[in-house]
Amino acid sequence: MPQLNPAPWFTILFFSWLIFLIVLPRKVLSHTFPNETTSRSAHTPKTEPWAWPWY
Amino acid sequence: MVLSFFDQFMSPSYLGIPLMALALILPWTLYPKPTSQWISNRVLTLQGWFINRFTQQLMLPLGRKGHKWALLLTSLMIFLITLNMLGLLPYTFTPTTQLSLNMGFAVPLWLATVLIGMRNQPTIALGHLLPEGTPTPLIPVLIIIETISLFIRPIALGVRLTANLTAGHLLIQLIATAAFVLAPLMPTVALLTATLLLLLTLLEVAVAMIQAYVFVLLLSLYLQENV
Repeated sequence: MPQLNPAPWFTILFFSWLIFLIVLPRKVLSHTFPNETTSRSAHTPKTEPWAWPWY
Repeated sequence: MVLSFFDQFMSPSYLGIPLMALALILPWTLYPKPTSQWISNRVLTLQGWFINRFTQQLMLPLGRKGHKWALLLTSLMIFLITLNMLGLLPYTFTPTTQLSLNMGFAVPLWLATVLIGMRNQPTIALGHLLPEGTPTPLIPVLIIIETISLFIRPIALGVRLTANLTAGHLLIQLIATAAFVLAPLMPTVALLTATLLLLLTLLEVAVAMIQAYVFVLLLSLYLQENV
């Protein structure tokens, strides 16, 4: 199996991590979003039931 | 030199440029730089939506301490899914079929989760080696088993991705060869084989996406145990 050939292993490792650390986070981080993140609240808000019709 | 079916996975060079380098550099041209416009074009909107939702879904089970890993895991997902999907195009080289690349990502990231667990909460991290409710006589055996399963995780992570993608590419090549060879001899069978090839290609598209997702999901699970 050619994948088991140890010759380019370190080169592949080094090069792939280089691309992964340099190129990708820049591209991912450059996407900005308009809303702030909210953390999940532990309690759900208690809403009062209402019975009046919509009109 | 007779060409065998495994030769598609050799790290080839063309005109002195290793194709691995091209396959690792060029895909990122598909991700344009986001503009400062309020509403950007469709490609950017889609990519932004995907990144946003994926990060949200992945970070849900992790506590606040795990949110430090958001950028790394999302970048890893984009990396793997792009490489996997582009590899399905004809005549492209898929870097994720190389065991070296997958192990190179699996082992350091898994080790990072283990070390984080050992450093911040060593008792809890070691406590994962013994499931709750184990009968007392089984404790030594189970600790050994759990330790083995812990150390198998990076190997499984890397080999799973490699094997899935390699097998998929090999199957596509085999069935395509079969359809091509059968075409002048038995056209009907060749047509059936071609239909099989189409279905297989659809399966491989799904496998490409799922395997990338599984890799990142499992890493986030290992992180969840240890963060």
